[in-house]
Amino acid sequence: MEATTVSTGATLIRDLDANAFLQRYRCDRFTATVLASRFGYVVEHMCSQLLTTAFSPILRDFYDFAATVTGPPSADYATPAVSNSIILFTGTMTDSVRNTVEEYGPARLEPGDVIVANDPYRTGTHINDLLFCRPVFHAGELVGLVNLKAHHLDMGGSVPGGFSATKTNVYENGLVLSPRALYRAGRPVQETWSLIFDNVRFGSFMFPDMQTICANLELGERLLLETVERYGAEAVLGAIEYVCDAAAERMTLALEAVPDGIWEAEDFVDCDGIDDTEAYRVHVRLTKRGGRAEVDLSGTSRQARSCINGTALDAKSTVGTAFKYVLDPRTPFTSGTLRPIDVVVPPGTIVSALPPDGAVFLYWEGTQALIAAILRAFAQVLGDAAIAGDHGSANLHNAGGVLPNGTPWVSVGQCGGEQGAYGATVDGDADTFTLSYQANGIAPAVEATENDAPVAMLRHEIVPDTAGPGYHRGGSGVVRDSLWLQPAHHYAMPLRFRVPSGFGVNGGGDGETGGVWLWEPPADGVVRQRGAGEDDYRDAVPVTGHLDPETHAPSRSGEYVWFGREPLWRTQPLAVLRYVSNGGGGWGDPLEREPERVKVDVRDGYVSVTGAARDYGVVVTGDPDDDPEGLAVDLEATERLRASRREQR
Amino acid sequence: MLGVDVGGTFTDVVSVRDGRIEVAKVPSDPATPAAPVIEGARRLGVEGRPVFNHASTMGLNAVITRRLPKIGFLTTEGHRDMLTMGTVWRPLDAQTDAGWRRSFGDAARPLVPRYLRRGVTERLLPDGSVLTPLDEEQARRQLAVLARCRVEGVAICLLNAYVDATHEKRLRELAREVLGELPISLSSETSPLAKEYARASTTVVDVLMKLVYADYATELDRELRDLGFAGELNFADCAATLLPWEAALEQPFRIVVAGPAAGTVSCARLAETLADGNLICCDVGGTSTDVSLVRDFRPIVSNTFELEHDLVINALSTEVRSVGAGGGSIVSISATGDVLVGPASAGADPGPACYGRGGDAPTLTDACLLMGLLDPDGFAGGALRLDVELARAAFEALDTPLPLAQRVSFAYRIAAANVAEEVIDIAIRHGVDPRDFSLVAYGAAGPMLLPATLELLHVKRIVVPPHPGLFSAVGLLSADLVYSDSRSAYVVLGPGTAGTVAAVFEEMEERLRRRVGADRDDVEIRRSFDGRLYGQSWETPFVAVPEGPIDEETIPELVERFHDEYERRFGNRFPMLPVQGVTYRVQLVVPTDKVEYARLEPRDASTAPRRTLELRYLADEPLHAAEHERETLSSGSRVEGPAVIREALSTTFVYPGQVATVGGVGELVIERTAGAD
Repeated sequence: MEATTVSTGATLIRDLDANAFLQRYRCDRFTATVLASRFGYVVEHMCSQLLTTAFSPILRDFYDFAATVTGPPSADYATPAVSNSIILFTGTMTDSVRNTVEEYGPARLEPGDVIVANDPYRTGTHINDLLFCRPVFHAGELVGLVNLKAHHLDMGGSVPGGFSATKTNVYENGLVLSPRALYRAGRPVQETWSLIFDNVRFGSFMFPDMQTICANLELGERLLLETVERYGAEAVLGAIEYVCDAAAERMTLALEAVPDGIWEAEDFVDCDGIDDTEAYRVHVRLTKRGGRAEVDLSGTSRQARSCINGTALDAKSTVGTAFKYVLDPRTPFTSGTLRPIDVVVPPGTIVSALPPDGAVFLYWEGTQALIAAILRAFAQVLGDAAIAGDHGSANLHNAGGVLPNGTPWVSVGQCGGEQGAYGATVDGDADTFTLSYQANGIAPAVEATENDAPVAMLRHEIVPDTAGPGYHRGGSGVVRDSLWLQPAHHYAMPLRFRVPSGFGVNGGGDGETGGVWLWEPPADGVVRQRGAGEDDYRDAVPVTGHLDPETHAPSRSGEYVWFGREPLWRTQPLAVLRYVSNGGGGWGDPLEREPERVKVDVRDGYVSVTGAARDYGVVVTGDPDDDPEGLAVDLEATERLRASRREQR
Repeated sequence: MLGVDVGGTFTDVVSVRDGRIEVAKVPSDPATPAAPVIEGARRLGVEGRPVFNHASTMGLNAVITRRLPKIGFLTTEGHRDMLTMGTVWRPLDAQTDAGWRRSFGDAARPLVPRYLRRGVTERLLPDGSVLTPLDEEQARRQLAVLARCRVEGVAICLLNAYVDATHEKRLRELAREVLGELPISLSSETSPLAKEYARASTTVVDVLMKLVYADYATELDRELRDLGFAGELNFADCAATLLPWEAALEQPFRIVVAGPAAGTVSCARLAETLADGNLICCDVGGTSTDVSLVRDFRPIVSNTFELEHDLVINALSTEVRSVGAGGGSIVSISATGDVLVGPASAGADPGPACYGRGGDAPTLTDACLLMGLLDPDGFAGGALRLDVELARAAFEALDTPLPLAQRVSFAYRIAAANVAEEVIDIAIRHGVDPRDFSLVAYGAAGPMLLPATLELLHVKRIVVPPHPGLFSAVGLLSADLVYSDSRSAYVVLGPGTAGTVAAVFEEMEERLRRRVGADRDDVEIRRSFDGRLYGQSWETPFVAVPEGPIDEETIPELVERFHDEYERRFGNRFPMLPVQGVTYRVQLVVPTDKVEYARLEPRDASTAPRRTLELRYLADEPLHAAEHERETLSSGSRVEGPAVIREALSTTFVYPGQVATVGGVGELVIERTAGAD
């Protein structure tokens, strides 16, 4: 008997016979396989060329772009290939291309056109991400589009570069481009180029990047056309359908393996850039029946009053990303991935903001809370496959100033809490020093940072006892101390310190929360390393965190301190700025962790002797600093301690 | 000339004498790695040989398996986690995989566990000034811990030590006092380049390689001398350039691996022979196909090399990209019924199903056997009999409704399509047009698989070199002897900076000349620098620096050359932006003996096939292909496809619609016949 999916009764794709396959996909199985990988390669080749030629570091180092191939309007813009670039863009691409082309008018398209748009409410993500679409015609028919969305250095508005938590409406945010032609029939449209370059800063860098992108689209068009010429338009359109069906089927089968049920969870963004009266909730109700799921975001807070919002397209994208993490982590994303999933998004929330007041810039902070809420909901049913929380935030820091000789300098994303913990999984302890679940990129070298700006990085290392304990331990909190050698001003954008973002799963503990602090220049002018223990913060100025009012150290019982009380933090020479990122969540019962593995953690400084007893019930003897190989586990004492811990539960 | 390629399974010793190539294959032995090398050398004879060139994957294997000596790592206090952090990024295909771990991270398998990575109180600023003096008492306490833990070597990498080595050198003295004589590498000597992580991991690997290679190299040299060898023993580095073994051991991170690069160097030699300077090099091995480029007669080289994902070392290395389409690549069925090839591989052990060594997964080799391309009795010179039934059984066991014919032909064609896509990608990355390039097909299985890519790729032609199965090893006898050095200094190139740049080059050149022997005047000096447009986070490497003294007039030329190189690589030009020099490089190229390809005399040989074969699964009906012996062909012979050309270690498959012509040194040139489509 043929295997069928339980919920739909449809024949699985792999069991289709040659005739049925040909009928459904207008090509044979070999052609479908080759075209499936061909679509992936087309976007990969586009990315390779973009990465080779792009000017701006944000494209090179953070892959802050996405390339796609989409089917024509008649195929409802089905998207068989999205590049493996920044995760945040992935699930917005199909809708943003559809919205853009539909508004522009598919009937107006002709060969050689490039359509451009950047309005987050139409195309998702934020205003610096310009979407470029190029139609591909074969024998006079529109057979598909090749598309590229990429972060640009500036789109005008009140903050250079745009990164800020305090802009309050779309007018401050910068230039909004509704869909319009950038090229018509291969010729540049003067008024569109002028509109852009009359409104942006750093035009001399953006111009060549935009030219590069247009050249990229030509490459994509050529590759797709070659493909159509070799295999025929019908086969290509059929294969697009095949690839998307295959992704949908994989997701459906994965969902079927999860028990039916309804689970609710929520997570929070600390506040907005106006005040700290409101923590923004992201609420998820996850319903799973057979091979389908619904994610209902009703109960999510209203949109924020400053530009930390995301749009509904971002919410949808994040749902797709979360389901990929949980159910289908390794296969390429397509528009079919989301097919078995319904997303209910009420309008005007922090993850579905509306213009003109629901300004959008740090959209990922809200959707990080969303991915956390979905992972929390899934953790209630997944058992071993549950994924613990990460450090939760981009924790971006930008600084600037002027050198004594009058030269301005900037430091962008180099000195904040950008790198932090992952959550533990069934696979083992988690990594530390990663970007958050929806980002990926290359961290700047300390030595490069110090050449770019008058700063010395005093410390960038893990903080003991901050990781969520578990049978598998979460990643640790990371402390980064930067010593500012010249007067400086700082943009701090920390938004996830109020509650632990690194939630534990399966009995694992939460990671500790971090924070941001400042130390004024030392009176004696001598630079010292500072510890990261409870008593090391008394003389610090707290910038943000959930902190003990006396010690200023992170504390669950303390109070939230709001970063926005100073719109711009100013420091004098030899001031030290500290970021501590949140620890990642643990997986499984820490009292079950093998005492030997706890000893190794003590040896390596991830856990202190005290922490081993408190968090794991393991009694380690010896001096981890001076005689790391001389540590021992007191097994009897450990047994007793663990027994009493279990009793206390 | 002798070359030896120490692989995981076999140690191949290759001899070239009077244009004749011979090989001795000896099983490798991780316990006594020198023994098979000596055995192979003994079989081929060492007397009168001018050079013995050595390439090995021993260092890489030690790193990958973590069978490593125990070492300590000293760095600036607050930064010992640079080795678990790397450059942070995750592989793109693991972006939504929470199960992925950084292979060298503390949560997986660190090269140096965290407790042996110790912070030292000291701090330099990027201008070389001292923010915090070296605290010797604190340093001694850290060294005492390393002594208590009985480390066998120490790597030292302090922040900004590429600018000033004083603290690192003092730490070495203290380490000698506390730990006694053991191998120590300083980042300021090993690889004085900016960006601490790559410098640190290079320094760590350097100490490890000192411990891995020192005894081995000494033993090898002694035993070769005992056999009567009186020439030079050279080690090949990651770019397959050669160094006398004593010099190699001074910076052994360079010789951590030398396998794949040798094939590219061999292609560069072939390029000279054929007067065809632009080659796409495709080496079909057991586990993967390695693709690299030769442009203008030189391999394209990178300034860094990854031992594992993001485990970076600052070694010049030939840029090689791998795609999972080797002879042992496993054929599988995806969840939705696609036939897939690789990336999993049956390797050499158990190997393809048809080897009969217990492998039951079908592989590309099994597909070729079932198609009739491989001769079951003539494989690897008859060394191994292939079992068609086992191959068939392996394909029949796949869980798919596809008939056997499609399983086999899909596997073969998909492997070819994957290689073709990788070729397109590497061409795009380097901004070259494949239509200007010939594709060299080597590795034992290369000539069997790669002609199929001619149907998918717009390359000039495919070239099958003589002895494609030994072609990589011959690369060791085609390489230059190169002494090289590099160091970093951030200098915005403008008026008044010539002195700084000149001093950097002079210091390096003087040191290299001392090492080569100051009296030699036959060396070629190559200078270059890695620069960046001010504000960019990465460098554009290998901008050529003119010969002669560097003065104020040279600086504008460096800037101009940077812009030229940037435009050539990336297509844009930013003359309004300042150019910052970051790393400066010098190479001294010493003339050395290289392999010469023997000209093939045209002779009146018949091109009558030995017999006609039936090839299955490529078309609906079996194809009838002529089978030729390569050695009976002579310069100018033409063989029309479909045809199979056999030689001892390889099989070439000329596709229908293609024609193979034998060239001047016996190379097969495969082109599509006019009108074929």
